[in-house]
Amino acid sequence: MNRTASLRADPRLSRFDPLPRIIYFDDFDDGMNGWTALVGNYEDSIDTMSRSYARHTQPMLSQIAHWDSGTHGAFDGTYALKVATRPVKGERNTAIKRVTFRKASRIRVEVYFTFKPEANELKLSDQDVRAVGLCFDLQNGAHRVMPHLRYLNALDGERMFKWQFKQTTTPFRAIGGRGETVTHDHLAPEGWEDIPGGGQKLCYNEIPTKINWHYLRFDFDLAEMKWLGFQCNDRAFDCAGVNSIVIPAMKNLWCMLNLVFFAESDTDKRTFFYLDSVMLSGEF
Amino acid sequence: MPSVIRNTYTAVIARGEAWGGRVETEPYEAAWASEAVFFVRALAVRGRAPAGRARVQISPDGMNWADEGTSFRLPVKPGEVTFAKVTNFGGWLRLAAQVPPKAGLKVVATLALKG
Repeated sequence: MNRTASLRADPRLSRFDPLPRIIYFDDFDDGMNGWTALVGNYEDSIDTMSRSYARHTQPMLSQIAHWDSGTHGAFDGTYALKVATRPVKGERNTAIKRVTFRKASRIRVEVYFTFKPEANELKLSDQDVRAVGLCFDLQNGAHRVMPHLRYLNALDGERMFKWQFKQTTTPFRAIGGRGETVTHDHLAPEGWEDIPGGGQKLCYNEIPTKINWHYLRFDFDLAEMKWLGFQCNDRAFDCAGVNSIVIPAMKNLWCMLNLVFFAESDTDKRTFFYLDSVMLSGEF
Repeated sequence: MPSVIRNTYTAVIARGEAWGGRVETEPYEAAWASEAVFFVRALAVRGRAPAGRARVQISPDGMNWADEGTSFRLPVKPGEVTFAKVTNFGGWLRLAAQVPPKAGLKVVATLALKG
């Protein structure tokens, strides 16, 4: 059977353009599908965890219910994965899924996403969300590589509306006394750079309880550990010159293929990042 | 194909947090679940005051909260686990804990959901 015709005939798959092999397709109407909290590293005492990671909370399955209009629902079905920050400016939260790769091929992640601040004020509130984004945490035989992409919506009260990447993490910090565990904060707020030509206005809608879903595709080459480009809605972005955080390979992360979605708040209000579904595919 | 077994998810709603005075956990959405068990485990206990209590709260929107009616005692010694079971809670859950003056807890609080 023709593969394209088969994909397009399935209403659940028709809105995706996966590479030849689907690694996972997570529709959150079916449950969490292995998405969980990203906690920091620790040894002997949980107090050794870095504060920024200790603040992370668990993702949720959300019906996207609002005080004024009830359940909004997901792109299809009822539930979306929800990453919610605490109501503190500069807070972030994450959801992670951890697998490994069987071939260092091209990979593609596609998601339908949206974001909103908590609707606890009767005003537009479009500058309350700082950013939403994704990062991979990857390792081959030589390097740990972490491509980071975020949509910077607002920063310190100013509308930004642009895509960014980062190539730097924080210095490593040893944890505990056995020399077995270290930590670093690759999602720290410092070091973000603008994607060249990466300005984009998204449909926010007119009050904080109206949402619109957006399409995001991100392509990466595991063999070359190189960005291949990304697309959001009607805009495709060339990523020539855009790179990842690259650090030496670590002793227990071989073939790691972790995907993280993260949200950041720009005011003392919760930021909500919703994912209707996540498709990860590869060329193998 | 519909799942033939029920969904379940365990959410850690407080991870090594210090609780003193009045504490409210972050809202947790769980409309998909039909039953929930809150667990509180003490990692450390400070002071010798009477045990604190935690009340289960529910909400129509994740912003406005009401007592569900269930409450339970908080642990009084390290390693102790206390819990409460709830059903018919709508879409949102959280815990509102009250720790007596001069007392403090370091806790892991967990929400075990099934539906």
